[in-house]
Amino acid sequence: MITITDLEKYYATEEVRTIALNKLSFKVKEGEFVAVMGPSGCGKSTLLNILGLLDDPDGGSFVFNGIEVAGFNERKRADLRKHNIGFVFQSFNLIDELTVFENVELPLIYTGVKPAERKVRVDAVLEKMQIMHRRKHFPQQLSGGQQQRVAVARAVVNNPKLILADEPTGNLDSSNGNEVMDLLTELNEAGTTIIMVTHSEHDAKYSHRIIRMLDGQKVTENVLAEFKSV
Amino acid sequence: MIRNYFKIAWRNIRANILFTVLNIAGLAIGLCVCIILFSFVNTELSFDKMYSNAEDIYRVNMETSEEYDFETWAELPNAVGPAMAQDIPQVKRMTRLIKDDFGTTASLKIGDKNFTENRLYLADSTIFKMFDFKFLEGNSENAFSKPKSIVLSQSAKERLFAGREAMGQLITVNNRDTLQVSGIYADLPENSVMDATMVYNILDSWMGTNVYWGNASYETYVQLQPNTNVAEIQEQATGLIDKYVEKDNQYFTRFLFQPLTKIHLYSADIRDGYSSKLGNITTIKSLLFLSLLVLFIACINYMNLATANSQKRAKGIGMNKVLGANRRQMLSLFYVETGIMVFLSIVIGYAVSFLALPLFKSITGNEISYQDLLATPILIGLSIIWILVTLIAGSYPAISMSGISPLVLVNKSKKKGSASEFVRKGLVVFQFAASIVLIIAVTIILQQMSFIKNKNLGYDPSGIVAVSIKSAENNQQVQSLIQGLERQSNIESVSAVQTIPGSNESGRSVSKLATDNIGMPIASCRTNGDIVKTLKLKLLAGTELPQNIVAGDSLIYTLINEKILNFLDYKTPEDAIGKTINTELGSRAIITGIVENFNFNSLKEDIGGYMYYKSHKAPEGIRTVLVRYNTQDLSKFIDLVQQTFTASLPNTAFDYQFLDRHVAQLYASEEKTASTATIFSALAIFIACLGLFGLAAFTAEQRTKEIGVRKVLGATVTGITRLLSKDFLKLVLVAFVIAVPVAYWLMHKWLLNFAYRTEINWWVFVFAGLAAILIALLTVSFQAIKAAIANPVKSLRTE
Repeated sequence: MITITDLEKYYATEEVRTIALNKLSFKVKEGEFVAVMGPSGCGKSTLLNILGLLDDPDGGSFVFNGIEVAGFNERKRADLRKHNIGFVFQSFNLIDELTVFENVELPLIYTGVKPAERKVRVDAVLEKMQIMHRRKHFPQQLSGGQQQRVAVARAVVNNPKLILADEPTGNLDSSNGNEVMDLLTELNEAGTTIIMVTHSEHDAKYSHRIIRMLDGQKVTENVLAEFKSV
Repeated sequence: MIRNYFKIAWRNIRANILFTVLNIAGLAIGLCVCIILFSFVNTELSFDKMYSNAEDIYRVNMETSEEYDFETWAELPNAVGPAMAQDIPQVKRMTRLIKDDFGTTASLKIGDKNFTENRLYLADSTIFKMFDFKFLEGNSENAFSKPKSIVLSQSAKERLFAGREAMGQLITVNNRDTLQVSGIYADLPENSVMDATMVYNILDSWMGTNVYWGNASYETYVQLQPNTNVAEIQEQATGLIDKYVEKDNQYFTRFLFQPLTKIHLYSADIRDGYSSKLGNITTIKSLLFLSLLVLFIACINYMNLATANSQKRAKGIGMNKVLGANRRQMLSLFYVETGIMVFLSIVIGYAVSFLALPLFKSITGNEISYQDLLATPILIGLSIIWILVTLIAGSYPAISMSGISPLVLVNKSKKKGSASEFVRKGLVVFQFAASIVLIIAVTIILQQMSFIKNKNLGYDPSGIVAVSIKSAENNQQVQSLIQGLERQSNIESVSAVQTIPGSNESGRSVSKLATDNIGMPIASCRTNGDIVKTLKLKLLAGTELPQNIVAGDSLIYTLINEKILNFLDYKTPEDAIGKTINTELGSRAIITGIVENFNFNSLKEDIGGYMYYKSHKAPEGIRTVLVRYNTQDLSKFIDLVQQTFTASLPNTAFDYQFLDRHVAQLYASEEKTASTATIFSALAIFIACLGLFGLAAFTAEQRTKEIGVRKVLGATVTGITRLLSKDFLKLVLVAFVIAVPVAYWLMHKWLLNFAYRTEINWWVFVFAGLAAILIALLTVSFQAIKAAIANPVKSLRTE
């Protein structure tokens, strides 16, 4: 599903050029659950931004679903993104002014789904995430665990092929964190590809494979579980 | 999708209460000012458009010859109209129009009651058809069919007859003509220069029948056939001058046709004319400019506050984009938000304008009614304003914020603050520059007004009351009044004159030798004497005019000002005493005294030649008694004068005015300008402060962490307050540098309206600069101090 080859990304200030990704290459198969680990500044987040089509690489190739996307402009990336990728962030990033229902509904609005169908789909996903009873609340009225469940609901409502999770449990206590990891595992078992950046060895164990990075390069890869192509 | 924008926008508006309140307050004030001014302007622009013949009616003005400096006059000889009607076939209708007795207040007598009236006109009967007079009683065809008829407006009828039958009743005008009421017409529209409350037939008076090309006192209106080429007619009309007037007597060079609908606003440079309802296009333009400026300042506030808020909103926008929103959709979101905000402001501003209307009226003296506020053009204008302000005020936040990258979510977005920072600063500088210009302008306007009020005019208008005696039935009445007044202990002196200084003097020309071709145009005023004492003129040489002249003395005694003295080429005032002066008065005139120049006209004009004269054989009448009094109790004093008056002139209405109030009236429009400008400036500055306040709040919030760190490292409250205020003060200084030359140029131009003007002092600029700094400092320091005294632990923990 994803093939990156010699991916490069630099950050330049006036005097220093920092290399964030240094000729990074790997593949992710459809249906796989991959954890990316490494110390701060190793390039994990940069990688995630590029994989999420939020940012553009400076060099190398990135093939997504058979399409070379390196060099796509913002509009094309956005289009691809909204139909294929869901995001889960450490800090949830729910929109404060919208209710739980409206937050989850948002991606459907942007992909042009009709209101009646939106309601059905949002209700279904809220039911699944067990926060139906909170649908009219605003994000600030929810606990952290509930907020992250809303964020996951929002990420999956469009049935994306890929979910990118950036430290999804970072702001949660362990029991809430485990709940979120269970959710992600369920989604993965249902066929969604997941790439997750994390610091937590515990969370990483939920994945099939851990890619460890240092200074913008892959250092090791541990396969934790046998993954069979779907 | 749109519904969703509304939802988000509305919740955003509610979520940021401080910003919303600041924004709406600023915009609503700006809009309120605009609404009031637009309706004022709308009323001014609507003048005289309601007449069915409006497009074809022109006032004929004339350009004078070199001797009168090529001025344009609105009043013509009474022969002009009839000549045009006779010789030019395209002239469909013509009416001459003159206020009774050249515009002085008329005294009316009905039964044993006396009334004063100053909108009594004489006109040709064609006026009724030309100006759509709507007759409630009688009709336009027969109104003047009987000699000595008069028609009244509905409200004049009410005033004079108080509900009683008016038709057929007799009215005696100035104890001279007795006229019979032959018609009642509906009051003329408020927004018309035609302000007659009573009209009688000009053909009943020598003014209409005795036509000649001399005295220019008659406004002349013509109605042309539809689709006539005006330029051609103007040409033809000018041709009449050579046809009817000998070369030597041509003191006018051509006729100018002024469209009726332009008279109200475009007559500032035209001399005379009788209407009491003249506006000024320059005032209209400056008011429009000012109101747009205030509105623009309010828009800037909105932009600043909205973008300052962007940090808070960035994540939301980023998230929307991650979820698939494109830039266009985000643009729409911001425009919707602005649209709602502006709509609320318009509603509030509109409501407030109704409440503020009486205040606006009382401060500026401008007449607008609630109906004017509800006029259709205003409502249409409001919709346009809504769209325009939304587009203008919404543009900057929409454009800058819709461009926010989704990477803000992961803190990887490039700091692209500098460009928007620059724009924001530029906007603040603009606001403050405009405010400083306004402060300077207002200061100089007020200075000039006080200069005018305190300027020594060369005579003393205070302590003088002018009593009209033009309707005295005979000279005995006048003598009895004067003697009665002179007996009072609190009256210092009494002078019977043709007129008060600066209005209704007779225009003449004087020359040294009878053979001189070109004379000097002067104002002449007949008097019976004691004028130096009564007006407190300064006598340079010679004496007051003689108290008594023996019967049969045909000499004309004159008192001239320095202007005339210089024109006549005398070395010293003493040289001129006893010398002959050529005055166009018919008999030999000699100079008996010289007075220092005095400002008989407004200070907008230079002093011209002025001559008081006394003679048995005078063409002008004595129409006014000037009374110099010495008392504080004015109402008791006026009662006393009235008693004396009524005892002497029992059949005449008592009509008086205080001379100093008359003088103050000369500057009424400038007073209006001054108070209007003051309000505007105060509001503009206030709105700018609202914006600055919000911006300061934002900066303080944005720098909370920095302030926390600084305090942990030992910074003091004063240090931090200074740090936060400094940036804003720099902006105010830049604004000051921009504002000074602009203000100087503007005010220099404005002062050129006055022949006598105050200097533009450097301290005005310093004052305005300091005021701006002080205001900015007060606004900003509140936020700065609040931020500086906050507990740093709190701010650091939240990060």
